[in-house]
Amino acid sequence: MADRPRPSISRRRLLQASALGVPGAWVLSSCARAQPLGAPAPAASTAGGSAAASLPPLTEIPIASPQNPVKWPINPGNEPIASGLEPEMNATLRVYNYPDYVYKRVLKDFQKEYADYNVKVELSTFNDLPEALTKIRSGSVPFDVGFLTYNYMGKLVYGDLIRPLNHDYIPNINDVWEEFQNPFYDQGWQYTVPYTIYTTGIGWRHDLIPEDISARSNPYDVFWDAKYAGAIAVLDDDREVIAMTILRNGGTDVNSADPAVLGQTRDSMLEMLSVSRPRVTITGYTDIPEGTMSLAQCWSGDMITGQYYLPEGVDPALLRYWSPPTGQGVVGNDFLCVLKGGENPVMAHHFLNYMLKSEVSIKNLSFVGYQPPLRSLTPESMVADGYLPANLAGAIVKPEWFQVGYPLLELPVAVEAEYQAIWQQFKSGA
Amino acid sequence: MPDRTSRFIWPILGLPGMAWIALFFLVPLYVVFCVTFGTVDPIFRSPVPAWNPLEWQFEQVLVVWDRLVGPNNFYLPPVLRTLLYVVVAVVACMIIAFPVAYFTARYAGRHRALILALLVAPFWISYMMRMLAWINLLQPDGLVNSMITLGGIIPLQVNWLSGNPFTVVMGLIYGYVPYMLLPLFAALDRISPSLIEAGRDLGASGFELFRRVILPMSVPGIVAGTLLIALPMMGDYFTSDMLSKSPNTSMIGNLINLSIATPGQSGQAGALLILVLLVLLAPMIWYTRSNAKAEVRS
Repeated sequence: MADRPRPSISRRRLLQASALGVPGAWVLSSCARAQPLGAPAPAASTAGGSAAASLPPLTEIPIASPQNPVKWPINPGNEPIASGLEPEMNATLRVYNYPDYVYKRVLKDFQKEYADYNVKVELSTFNDLPEALTKIRSGSVPFDVGFLTYNYMGKLVYGDLIRPLNHDYIPNINDVWEEFQNPFYDQGWQYTVPYTIYTTGIGWRHDLIPEDISARSNPYDVFWDAKYAGAIAVLDDDREVIAMTILRNGGTDVNSADPAVLGQTRDSMLEMLSVSRPRVTITGYTDIPEGTMSLAQCWSGDMITGQYYLPEGVDPALLRYWSPPTGQGVVGNDFLCVLKGGENPVMAHHFLNYMLKSEVSIKNLSFVGYQPPLRSLTPESMVADGYLPANLAGAIVKPEWFQVGYPLLELPVAVEAEYQAIWQQFKSGA
Repeated sequence: MPDRTSRFIWPILGLPGMAWIALFFLVPLYVVFCVTFGTVDPIFRSPVPAWNPLEWQFEQVLVVWDRLVGPNNFYLPPVLRTLLYVVVAVVACMIIAFPVAYFTARYAGRHRALILALLVAPFWISYMMRMLAWINLLQPDGLVNSMITLGGIIPLQVNWLSGNPFTVVMGLIYGYVPYMLLPLFAALDRISPSLIEAGRDLGASGFELFRRVILPMSVPGIVAGTLLIALPMMGDYFTSDMLSKSPNTSMIGNLINLSIATPGQSGQAGALLILVLLVLLAPMIWYTRSNAKAEVRS
């Protein structure tokens, strides 16, 4: 009789190994910091770091909105830098941004402009803001400048991740639209300067979709039109798709916490899934020009950039963009800020001022397609100077739209979880 | 003395492998458990792992369980869809790989190494690059449609990239077929030609020979290949993301990926991952036990 094969590990051994695992867990636990860098203490206590003394408990973090503008606190120990300082010599200015969201030539020009200080700009990219925040908090890379979004302001301030600005270094703010010299998300522009502005709307190629979508009584209905099944896409962004569905259903509160509104929105999104089978992507700016997709929910800057992705011989006049011409659609902006973990705060201030220069902003616009909110850049001049063809004039954002448009705001945690559940159900194809 | 040496030499030689498994498999797996059963940072919604098992909480697992079997079980369709895609893709891989592996093992002679290398060569290019290439080929005006329509003569336009389940399954087959091919080749190559000769001498037809000799003897290769491709396919999210981008073809891997990217949902991602792990553990245990039994028999 052959011997029974010896088990590679006996049950006794397994138990012994498990027992050894407990100290292992203790080691892992010890290796981890009690709190990640800049992280707050548990919910019941106050925010962490040096902010703990001055910031209110977490439950009181305000949510900024046009109706409830917020002036954020400045923590002791995180005061703005002094005026009149020289930029750091031999600095490596670490800039953190989305991919393809800044013109690299602009960064090189900054190096040239500050050649006396031998500055080197190092660009790192993130795919989404949760990823960016995780990396900023980890402190593994001392990023100096962040290209971030306003619905993360509370997290940035209360996480003690952002540095207040010394306005003396940023005189170019004078060219910025008045709305952004005192934005609702950062009253007194204590921490941020605006970078780009956008609307969310519908982009399409006229030769592939001959219908004039903008002539519909409710253009958003196109996403529920079986005629375009398989040829359309919505943004891979829960807030944008939920907001568009709320607007399509006649609502105006794109940050609604009303369970009835959210229930109706979920049902409409699932209906969209079965009727028009949309793809979910943020690559409309290449897919529409290339003809892979005929129509997509997209940001205004996507269509302006899209003209550079058209196949050879395809006329840019074929591109179309629609967002509510009254401005009563989703509007938004991104901003630039100086991150607290950076090693070159003075140079970072100079960088922010440089990015607000009219000629720099315009050069950057020619690559990223997103409009900076500058007085020197009027809708008329954008068309006249050839930054976009007349058929895309609807993609130009007007200052007054920030009075009537609907920004996507930070949500209370419970409401955010509801939005996420709707999105997960939608993306499950259920 | 030699006995004492051999008593220690094998465990010592096995140490690096064991250390590697502990460091790169067991520790990360424990971290997944700690994240799954941990809590969430109240501001940033990032995971706060519970390193001490006594502090583990099960809310996220219950959420996932509810979404699988509860009244609003919207996780179930992607789970069933994944199982269907994987079964179809594995069967198709087997149908494609078996004759190729058989030909290479039996008839390729001295060219077998070259043939194997040529079959595997495209897979030296990264998976992402190959999928990007397929996107170009499958575009409305791409090469595939040109061929189907004979250069536009036949008025037929297939939109392969519009959330088409066929395209996703095709992508899975294309991506994983070499991993089926290699174990099958190894199994078929081990079949002694004299056994096949003996079968023929005893009057077996070609089909009988395949059914009674070749197929039973290639079972270890089939099982190994099936496991080798089914396991990564179950967690695959990239193929659907690249070739479809549609929720209508979402797989479990896409759900896990979405949960990881969503603030406050890392625990759910971990729970889904553990679920996939448990589902896959059963065939793995079965395979290991049947292999051990086969060794005993031989």
